[in-house]
Amino acid sequence: MKEVELDCMGEACPVPLIKAEKEMAKLDIGDVLIVQIDHSCAMKNVPEWARKEGHNVEIEEVDDGEWEVIIEKVK
Amino acid sequence: MKTLSAKIKKNPYYVMWFKDAWPYITGAVLLSVFQIATLASTGNPWGVSAVFANWGAWLYELVGGSVDKWYYFASEGAQATLERGFLQDPGTMRNLGIIAGALFATLAASGFKFKKIKSWRQVLAAVLGGLLMGYGARIGFGCNIGALFSGIASFSLSGWVYAVFLFLGAVVGSKLLVKFFM
Repeated sequence: MKEVELDCMGEACPVPLIKAEKEMAKLDIGDVLIVQIDHSCAMKNVPEWARKEGHNVEIEEVDDGEWEVIIEKVK
Repeated sequence: MKTLSAKIKKNPYYVMWFKDAWPYITGAVLLSVFQIATLASTGNPWGVSAVFANWGAWLYELVGGSVDKWYYFASEGAQATLERGFLQDPGTMRNLGIIAGALFATLAASGFKFKKIKSWRQVLAAVLGGLLMGYGARIGFGCNIGALFSGIASFSLSGWVYAVFLFLGAVVGSKLLVKFFM
């Protein structure tokens, strides 16, 4: 059960999404990926993609305009 | 005070209207309604980037330049717009409104943040991208609003041609993005 942080602060769409996809492919089932973002569009497309893939997704608002998308790989 | 703001933050209507992103369909319907309102009130369909060319012309005039002989501003309509000036231009008001509205939306969602510039590569890409978009929008008589959205809405074939090449450009752009930014 690994926990990997992915720093996407200051990155605009679609960079956070592509980075998250690539990082996710490296992980095993049960691992958790934490995507740190400060781009509101990524707040929509990263969770949308992860949920469509069937993973467990939680969003945490860390600060004004900063979020962590917590994705647990389930398959 | 703290309890009040905490209460507002939990209010389902605040969350629905200000905090969460609106569904795409809501955005689409509102854009269409305001497009119609724009056409009805100003006589022209919605456009964004043409206004920036006018801003450029006004800035140039401000430092003593003249665009009277420029082919781009040669039409009577363009000259009339330039003569009426910054404050009498519906497009200018609309673009300022977009900036103010976007600022309000981020503030209302408490999502405002000064973002760090991550790398010089990002700066270079932004400047190059901006120049290409601005030049392309003017040479093609419209951006994705004026030429695509307003074009298709006015049953103009050019809007659809724009859509095809927008898609092709996006494919090339995505490949470049993955190559240089991943």
